[in-house]
Amino acid sequence: MYETLSFEESGDVARITLIRNRINVKQIRELERVFDHLEDVSKAKVVVLRGHSAGIDFHDFDPKEAMDIHGFNKWEKLVNRFETLDKVTVALVDGPCVGGGFQLTLVCDQRICVPGATFQLNEVRQGFLPGMATFRLAKYVGLGHAKRLVMTGAVVGAEEAKRLGLVDDVTADLDGALARTIESFGPMHTVAFTLARRLLNESYGTQIEDALGNFLAAQHRAISQTAFLDTLKAEHKKQ
Amino acid sequence: MRTVGDLALAATRVLGADLAPGAGAAPDVAPGLAAYPSPHRPPIPTRTGAPCDTVPPMLDLRPRILSVGTANPPERWSQQDLLDRFKVTDPKICSLFTSSHILTRHLYLPEGAPEGGPLPESQGDLLRKHRRGTLEVAPKAVERCLEPMGLGVKDIDYLCCITSTGWLTPGVTALLIREMGFREDCSRMDLVGMGCNAGLNGLNPVASWAMANPGKNALMVCNEICSAAYVFDGSMRTAIVNSLFGDGVAAVLVRASERDERAFAPKILGFDSHIIPSALGAMRFDWDDEHGKYSFFLDRDIPYVVGANAEKPIGRLLKKFGLRRRHISHWIVHSGGKKVVDAIKYNVGLTDYDVRHTHSVLRDYGNLSSGSFLFSYSRLLAEGRVRRGDYGVLMTMGPGSTIETALIRW
Repeated sequence: MYETLSFEESGDVARITLIRNRINVKQIRELERVFDHLEDVSKAKVVVLRGHSAGIDFHDFDPKEAMDIHGFNKWEKLVNRFETLDKVTVALVDGPCVGGGFQLTLVCDQRICVPGATFQLNEVRQGFLPGMATFRLAKYVGLGHAKRLVMTGAVVGAEEAKRLGLVDDVTADLDGALARTIESFGPMHTVAFTLARRLLNESYGTQIEDALGNFLAAQHRAISQTAFLDTLKAEHKKQ
Repeated sequence: MRTVGDLALAATRVLGADLAPGAGAAPDVAPGLAAYPSPHRPPIPTRTGAPCDTVPPMLDLRPRILSVGTANPPERWSQQDLLDRFKVTDPKICSLFTSSHILTRHLYLPEGAPEGGPLPESQGDLLRKHRRGTLEVAPKAVERCLEPMGLGVKDIDYLCCITSTGWLTPGVTALLIREMGFREDCSRMDLVGMGCNAGLNGLNPVASWAMANPGKNALMVCNEICSAAYVFDGSMRTAIVNSLFGDGVAAVLVRASERDERAFAPKILGFDSHIIPSALGAMRFDWDDEHGKYSFFLDRDIPYVVGANAEKPIGRLLKKFGLRRRHISHWIVHSGGKKVVDAIKYNVGLTDYDVRHTHSVLRDYGNLSSGSFLFSYSRLLAEGRVRRGDYGVLMTMGPGSTIETALIRW
C-alpha cells in the first residue's frame, strides 16, 4: 500500500513510520493519502510519526528545469494539515532529523527523541529556505537561537534540543515515553484540545482585541460540547 | 417547483445511479454527483484533490453566476464622522463606534440637530428615503452587472429584488422596471423582510428558475438602504445597530445555458439551509411603538448561537456532494459583524485568510445586509486567484435565526 512509509492503526493510536529517510514526491503523496485517511475515516485519537529524515531528496528536482514554487506551497499545505489534525500528534525521532523532517516534527504536539538524535535545518547553507520553520521555530526556542539554527545550519544534539525546548523528552525507550505521553493527555476532549492548540499557534501574531474575540468564539464552542457538560455534572455530583 | 438538487437527482434516476463508478466505494457521495466520466469533456482536475463533479454534458445545464455588480450611495462616512455630526458624547457609545472593526460606511444621513442627534425622520420619511436610495443606487449596480456581459435591461427575463430596509407596494422590481425600462414581459419576484441571509434565500429560486428556463437571463438585486431603517435614542441597543449597517446594492446575473460552457463563471451546485427556531426573537426588525418606527434588535448571544450551528448546514451541504472542508478553496461569508465571523471561524475551522474578504467588506462598508456576501464575492473575483475547478461555499446568516449556504464551482 505504501512504499516510503508504513501506516498502522490499532485502538486509539495511529502510527506513521518513515521508511524512506529522504523526502521525495512519492513520500509527500503517501503522506497526503495517510492524512486523507486520518481526516476522513480514522477514529484514532493519537498519531505517532516515527523515524528520522535527511530532508528533501534533490533527485526529484531537475536542475535543467525552471524551479517551481507551487511544489513548496503543496508541502506547506501538507505540513499545515498535520498541524491542524484533530488528534494528538507525537513525533518520535530515532536518528538525524534534518530539513523537511525537522519541519514536520515542529508541528507535532510533542517531540521525543533518542539520545543519539540530532536536529538541523541545513537549507540556508544549500541556498534555499527551511519552509515555514522560519515561522514556527522561534516560537519554541526564541529568536536568538532560531537565527543561529536557521542561518548557520548548526547541528543540535538531543540534550541541547531538550534545553532549547525543541524536544520534550530524551530517552532510549521511545515506546515507554510514548505510553507516558499518551497517558498525560488524559481524557482527550478533541474539540477543546484542537481549539487550545489553534489559539496557542495563533498567539504570537494576533492583536489582543482580535485574540479576545477569537478566544470567546473558541470558548463558546468548547462549553457547548458534551465534554464540558459532563465535567459540570460530575462536579455537581461530588458536592 | 423543482430545485437544482431535485433535477440533479432526477438526472441520476434517468441514468441509473450505479452507472457511476465509485458510487459503491464512496457511499457518502450523492448519487447525482458521483464521479461520472464524460466522453465529451475531460473532468476538470481540482487543486484540492476533491472528487470531480462530472455529470454528462446534456444534463449538466446547471445555472451559473455570470456577472456581479455593486454600488453604494455617493457619501461615505467614518465612524468618527457620525459621532461628530450627531454630537454623540456618551463614552460607551463613542467607544462602540471607534473600536469597531468598521472604518467607513456609505449612508444617507439626516442633518444633525443643533442639540445633538439627527433631525427627526418619521417612518414616512424613512420609506421615502428607501425609495429614493433604491432609485439612485440599484440602477448603478444593475448596469455594472450587465454591462460587462454586453447585456441591457431589455435582455432580462426574470428579475428578483431583495430588501429588508423598506416596504413598497408595488415592490422594488416594479419600480426598477419602470425607471430602467425592463421589458413588460419580465417575470419578477420581490423578496421582502428576510434580513441578512436573504441573498441566498433568493439565489435558490433564482437558480431554479434559470435551470427551468435554459438560456434565459435571471437578475437578482440585493437592495439594502439600511440608513432608512434606524432608530436613534441614545440607548446601547440602537447604538449597536447604528454602528453596524451600511447602504449598498449588489446585482448578479444567473443563467443556465450551453453557450456558457466555456465561461469562467461558477456553477451553482446546491443549497442547504438551517433555521434555529429557539432563537426566533434573537434578531428581529419589528415595530417600536415608542418611536413609531421599525427598530432592529440584535441579541448579544446571537453571534455565538449562529457559530454553534454553522457546522450543521455546511456539513450537510458538503456531504451531499462527497466533499470535505479541505476541498473548498473559497469561503464567501456574510459580513455580519466581527463576533459572528469569529464564531464561524472557530466552529467551521476557517482561517483569517479564508474570511479576508468578509473582513475587508465589513471594514469598508459595514454590514450591507443581504448583499454583503456578493460584495465579498466581487472582491474574490477581483483578486484573480480563483482557478477553474475550484469549489466555493457561500454562507449568509440572519433572522430566524438562520444560516443559508450554497456550493458553487468554477
